[in-house]
Amino acid sequence: MNAPAKQYQLLFVDDDGDFLAMIRDFFASLGEKIWQIHCVTSADQALELLKVRQIDLVVSDVNMPMLDGIQFLHILNRSHPDLKKAVVTSNATEEKRSACLAEGAELFIEKPRSPEGLRSIFIMLEELITWTPREGFQGVLRRVGLQDVIQMECLGRNSSILEIHNQQLRGRVYIEDGRIIHAQAGDLVGENAFYQLLSLPSGEFQLHPFELPAKRSIDGQYEFLLMEAARVRDETMAAQAPANGAVSSPETKPAFESSTTAFHLAARVEETLVCSGQGEPLYVWQCPDTSARVALLQNVAQQAASLGQLIPLGNFDRLEIQLADSRVVAQARADRMVFVRVSSGNEKSTIPSDE
Amino acid sequence: MNDTLQEWFATGAVASGMLGCGMRLPDATCLSYSFNEICSRECLDQVLHRLAETTTFLSGQGLAPRRLTWTFERGQLFLFPRPDGALLVLATQPNTEAAENVDELAEEFFSLNAAN
Repeated sequence: MNAPAKQYQLLFVDDDGDFLAMIRDFFASLGEKIWQIHCVTSADQALELLKVRQIDLVVSDVNMPMLDGIQFLHILNRSHPDLKKAVVTSNATEEKRSACLAEGAELFIEKPRSPEGLRSIFIMLEELITWTPREGFQGVLRRVGLQDVIQMECLGRNSSILEIHNQQLRGRVYIEDGRIIHAQAGDLVGENAFYQLLSLPSGEFQLHPFELPAKRSIDGQYEFLLMEAARVRDETMAAQAPANGAVSSPETKPAFESSTTAFHLAARVEETLVCSGQGEPLYVWQCPDTSARVALLQNVAQQAASLGQLIPLGNFDRLEIQLADSRVVAQARADRMVFVRVSSGNEKSTIPSDE
Repeated sequence: MNDTLQEWFATGAVASGMLGCGMRLPDATCLSYSFNEICSRECLDQVLHRLAETTTFLSGQGLAPRRLTWTFERGQLFLFPRPDGALLVLATQPNTEAAENVDELAEEFFSLNAAN
């Protein structure tokens, strides 16, 4: 015996009573017994109903007295983050569309003027209400930094595939248990692909469930990969903006390719500090003494400037400090300073011990 | 400074991509060799003094380094502190024989010292 079809609960919010009456009549016949339609004429009535009813989809107008549709969506985003939301309005401007989508509306539709238009809306809403989100989420790079997403995945020790694309390039970054293990972008594979993807000025990404890649092309710590990606991106931007006085040296090939990837998989991040160029901590993780680490970074910045004056080797990139049981990378730039300490794992050193 | 060290500096440390090298003794005296005009002996002496300050600073934070690698766009400075306070600095161009063999050069240097 077949299980009874789920009855979806739709809530329409509009101060236009005639429109609501038309919706109720038309959609009730189209939706038959699958849709149960609730209609209210204000956002506050909708919020009251949401307290007592399990609603699957809210369809709201934008121009309403007291609390308009955009504010209503904003409240819904906080109070009912999993609720599907759509907007149907007679005032479909691009500005309102952007605002509604930014507040979490999945659909933004102009009010129909004909039965055919109503039928189209019914189909769109039916598609939305029966759509089950895939595991994962999606975003736009202009709003969410790609580096932030990767850092979240790595810090959470997640496994996922980050698919990134814009009009020029499409690629994937494979993250397994918080480690970046593979990347491909166009014809590029490995770190170069990763850096290329993170150099994109904008685009879109989707986070997919993890699948093993055909091969593993990256084995570096994600912190260093991200730092290197930031450096490559800075260089790319500088190279693309010669009119602004930026200098692109033909010798900007990184001098530390081998050492960057020399961290073994056994290595573990022990502490991290990111601060502004002025020394204001922006991100601190397990630092035993943050102010001391900030002082260290400032000292590194000063010494790097002095060393650069003594021997003309170009811009300072980083200081690596090999300790008995761990390794530190310190970066000091005008806008950002980074301190990361990583345990060395089973790394073998040829340097004599002072113990 | 003994003759063996001076001889090693003058010949043993010469590798493709080596800009210069030097040693700072615990009494702050320096012996430096330059293999490239951008890296004079006087500059290397100054570099050694600067790096000595950094090493002291790091030790004050509980970060006693075995090796420091300062990476610049067109070169690297490697510093190897010895337990007695002496420092070895190697200035190299990136992705060269010298840069790739700094550990071996340092090991050679430390073994030389141990024998003398």
